[in-house]
Amino acid sequence: MTTTVEEAAQALREIDLIRHRAAGFQDYQAESGQLLLWGLAYVVGFALTACFRDYLIPIWVVVVLVTIGVGTWMASRTGADGARVAWRYLAVIGTFLLFCLALNIVFWPLTPEQGAMLAPMLLAALYILRGIQLRPRYMVIGLLLGTLCLGGYILLLPVFWPWMTLACGGTLIVSGLWLRAL
Amino acid sequence: MQTPDEIIHQPVRLKVMAALNTLDAGKWLEFVALRAIVEATDGNLGAHLTTLENAGYVLVKKDFAGRKPRTRVCLSAQGRTAFSRYVMALQAILAPLNPDASGFDDNQ
Repeated sequence: MTTTVEEAAQALREIDLIRHRAAGFQDYQAESGQLLLWGLAYVVGFALTACFRDYLIPIWVVVVLVTIGVGTWMASRTGADGARVAWRYLAVIGTFLLFCLALNIVFWPLTPEQGAMLAPMLLAALYILRGIQLRPRYMVIGLLLGTLCLGGYILLLPVFWPWMTLACGGTLIVSGLWLRAL
Repeated sequence: MQTPDEIIHQPVRLKVMAALNTLDAGKWLEFVALRAIVEATDGNLGAHLTTLENAGYVLVKKDFAGRKPRTRVCLSAQGRTAFSRYVMALQAILAPLNPDASGFDDNQ
């Protein structure tokens, strides 16, 4: 049985469609691990900050360093090109941290609550942009994260730290589980 | 007129092969994930996987993740070659109409 030109073209379109869908699935799977990790880090960080406000800086230094270590290890395990993925991961996280540091310097003095808003808001904006450009679920995650964190800062400042445990850490964990589910 | 591989040239099996071909060699994809990507029912996907497995194009592994049974699928080396040939056959059919079609990369 011969294949017509139309059938061949249709088959190639089908292959492209599946390739795009599979790439999205793999992207979501890889991202879900990082979302769960950073969500857990934010839960621990914000919960400890709520309990021990005076140790805010050491708490976050330890939390961020441990999370970067685990995150780099996870990134290095993805595919055959693990080393390059790990370096790219470190570069992205480094850029993110430097940008937050730069904002702190530019807007200094900031209250601890203001300082704590920088990373989640930047993260929310990045996910929204990524969602617009690549995959829709990222936009939902960014919108939810931004809305909950900003809403908490405006309306729930007396319970800011416990709220951020749920709004930031909780949202990232739920988002990670959502990306993992098909 | 060229005749692409009849085993692959079926809508569900084509999707299965295309999805598995996006993975690195030796990487396994869970049945549930594959089912979502190709948008097939359990029974339909299972039947087509059996056809592909009998042809030597895919490997199917059944094990347990904790206590939960798990089925995973992987494209064999033979399957990867067959899929590559299949894509080339499709491009050859289109080539007289579209000189750029030969630039299609089947492994992106």
